[in-house]
Amino acid sequence: MKRSCGVFCVINFWMKKACILCCLALISAGMLAGCNGKGKEKEKEKDSADSIVCYVGHGFWDSSLDPVKGGFAYGYDFIYNALVRVNAQSEYEGDLAESWEISEDALTYTYKLKQGIHFQDGSGLTAEDVVFTYETVMANQGQNEKVDLSQVAQVEALDEYTVQFTLKEHFSPFLDSTAQLGIVPSDGYDSDSYDRTPVGTGPFRVVQYDMDQQLIVEANEDYFEGAPQIQRVTFVDMDNEAAFSNARSGQLDVVMVQPSYVAETIEGMHAERLETMDVRNISLPCREPEMLTGADGEEIAVGNPVTSDLSVRKALSIGVNRQEVIDNAFNGVGRPAKGWTDNLIWGNTKEYEDSKTEEARQILEESGWIDTDGDGIREKDGIPCAFEIYTPSDEPDRYLLAAAVAEDVQKLGISIEVKQTTWDEIAVKSYTQGVVWGFGQYSPMVIDNQFRSEHFITQTYGNPSGYQNETADRLIEEAIAANSQAEAVAAWKEVQNVYAGDYPYLYLVNIEHCYFVSDRLDISADTQIPHPHGHGIPIICNLKDWKIKE
Amino acid sequence: MSRKSVSRKPEIFWNRRRKILFTVGAAFVYLLAVLAAGMLMSPERYGINYSAKFTAPCLEHPFGTDYMGRDMFFRSIKGLSNSIAVGALASAVSSLIALALGLTAALKGGIADRFVNWCVDLCMGIPHLILLILISFMMGRGGRGVTAAVALTHWPELTRLVRAEALQIRSARYVQASYRMGKTWFQVAKEHMVPQVLPVYLIGVVLLFPHAIMHEAAVTFLGFGFPAEIPAIGVILSESMDYITTGKWWMAVFPGLMLLAAVMLFDAAGENLKRLLNPNSGNE
Repeated sequence: MKRSCGVFCVINFWMKKACILCCLALISAGMLAGCNGKGKEKEKEKDSADSIVCYVGHGFWDSSLDPVKGGFAYGYDFIYNALVRVNAQSEYEGDLAESWEISEDALTYTYKLKQGIHFQDGSGLTAEDVVFTYETVMANQGQNEKVDLSQVAQVEALDEYTVQFTLKEHFSPFLDSTAQLGIVPSDGYDSDSYDRTPVGTGPFRVVQYDMDQQLIVEANEDYFEGAPQIQRVTFVDMDNEAAFSNARSGQLDVVMVQPSYVAETIEGMHAERLETMDVRNISLPCREPEMLTGADGEEIAVGNPVTSDLSVRKALSIGVNRQEVIDNAFNGVGRPAKGWTDNLIWGNTKEYEDSKTEEARQILEESGWIDTDGDGIREKDGIPCAFEIYTPSDEPDRYLLAAAVAEDVQKLGISIEVKQTTWDEIAVKSYTQGVVWGFGQYSPMVIDNQFRSEHFITQTYGNPSGYQNETADRLIEEAIAANSQAEAVAAWKEVQNVYAGDYPYLYLVNIEHCYFVSDRLDISADTQIPHPHGHGIPIICNLKDWKIKE
Repeated sequence: MSRKSVSRKPEIFWNRRRKILFTVGAAFVYLLAVLAAGMLMSPERYGINYSAKFTAPCLEHPFGTDYMGRDMFFRSIKGLSNSIAVGALASAVSSLIALALGLTAALKGGIADRFVNWCVDLCMGIPHLILLILISFMMGRGGRGVTAAVALTHWPELTRLVRAEALQIRSARYVQASYRMGKTWFQVAKEHMVPQVLPVYLIGVVLLFPHAIMHEAAVTFLGFGFPAEIPAIGVILSESMDYITTGKWWMAVFPGLMLLAAVMLFDAAGENLKRLLNPNSGNE
């Protein structure tokens, strides 16, 4: 095609008059260029056998790809590698680091790096790059809300392949931080260009990134664990529904869907439901109604007269039929949960039977909640057993979940009104009413965030139940200050025992992430780690192991 | 021959006037019926029923059901009823503002006139939907926000009309005479102006109505109006968008048609009333 086009232009060249020559030359140049482009496109089509197109939600589309600014702080290999990572058994293993040591006093962490690793720009990875990355983040902590290094006093390179971190105080979850922060090269790092075209050590390198549109990555042939089989991956950004339609017309190889879509079928694709550590719960304000003074001196109304009664919280937790709620709200996708998942090393959930309607009713009656006026809702001292649950309006799934719970607990004589609103309003409403939350991360600091009494009001979304328990507070401090991983895990587990009897949160479901995956693609289910909270993105955690079937 | 045709004319039952009255009557009956049905309906009619998720239209559920098994027929009626209530309130408020501002501008003149004109230009200069969203957001969204937004943004066109009508008779002799007899401008407005502008005003109100309903639905559809727990046509339509790709067509089609019917009926009623009340075409 290219040749015939050229010949045509040459014939034109001799036949036309001189005055048109310029125009023709321009046109033919354009045509030649066009032919070239087409040739290239054909080549692309030819090797489309090695490339895939994915939709995995909106998660990373509105932010920088630079790990120094919190880009891709998920803890799995993609464009970068961190020092350590989590494996499919939720244990930490070396990523860029070969091994690590924690000193007796738990204030010094020493990482030995693997040798012979190269960045995608060809430069070799040394301890200096690690020090550079950490120091840059520490100097610009305000830009990075994902990886908190405020506990670090000093980072230094002991030799070319050894890095030592000195902490200001005991901070046992420090390992999690080193799993989240991808390492950038000290020589090539440029704060502006790394937003869009970063360079890391990871299995994929960025070819093109158009914010809110697409991210194209290609395999890093020199990746130190072996080049990925898939040569080119394009991530597109669109609406969930548009993505589903595109998948139907065969344009996507992987598409994330909401649970309500799982019952559908797409020709040439199969549904995958992947395990997560993401738990949905409803915060139940534990305090009696009172006024507190906020950080700026303003008066804040907190507490709820209904959920502050332990018997109501307990009746909800043991009375609700979680499986039915999941069936109704999520088409049966997800597992009933009564606490953190056991795929976390620190997970320690006290299991109990739920949907014990009779027992729940009895608990309520014993503590004085009795339906006196026959409207199906209990009362006590003139207060009806009713409260509100707020859900963010951009996540319809949480609304469905709360609505299903409200429907289910009517049988207990508890009335719940479900409302949708913005996150800003939720932050305020959580002081007095229930809110549907989603949590799932490897770091046990989520327990600190949700149960430590001092976070109430002072930290946005921190301890939304207003839970107060001195034993729990003390144990959380102990866990953070622990000298060893084992000691920390033991303390974190003990905290969960302590608060289990107070039911400050109504745990409901351990969700599963749902996707439709092209039949020609193998997403290597064995090496998928349990997905952290991430709205569908975590499926790429093992992108380097994906294969296209022949 | 001519006598014959004249004598025959009254025998045609569907003459223009009757047709118009019938259209107007039908429009009001439909809207009042929907409004009343929605207000009197028990919430259980459109309650959650998980055993009937995504039922296609059938005898039991003429409009089908949604992802929570809620009956779309009753939900649509309740939603349209909410929309009509907001629309009625909004056009009442908007038209009163328009009447007050229009008459003040025409009678007081001077700075008052310039100020009103300036306000009208200002409001018409901002894209309507953006103004709606701004006001609704400022008022805290929800039912209150959207009602305030719709009520406070539909007066400029009507204000211009009222002002123009009032200006026409401002210098009429009987108006001047009443001034001479010591009547205040407020009395003149009440006794001479209001009756004069009433036909234009009433038609304006009726024609405002479909706009108000559509805008309420639009703002809600975009997420700045009623929250999801309240059935409103905008909520229903935006929810149906989530499922349209999986072939649940009934969730969008029927509520959409109901909204369309309400708006078109009102529009037809307004247009017909205009013909009837306008002295030039009223006796055709």
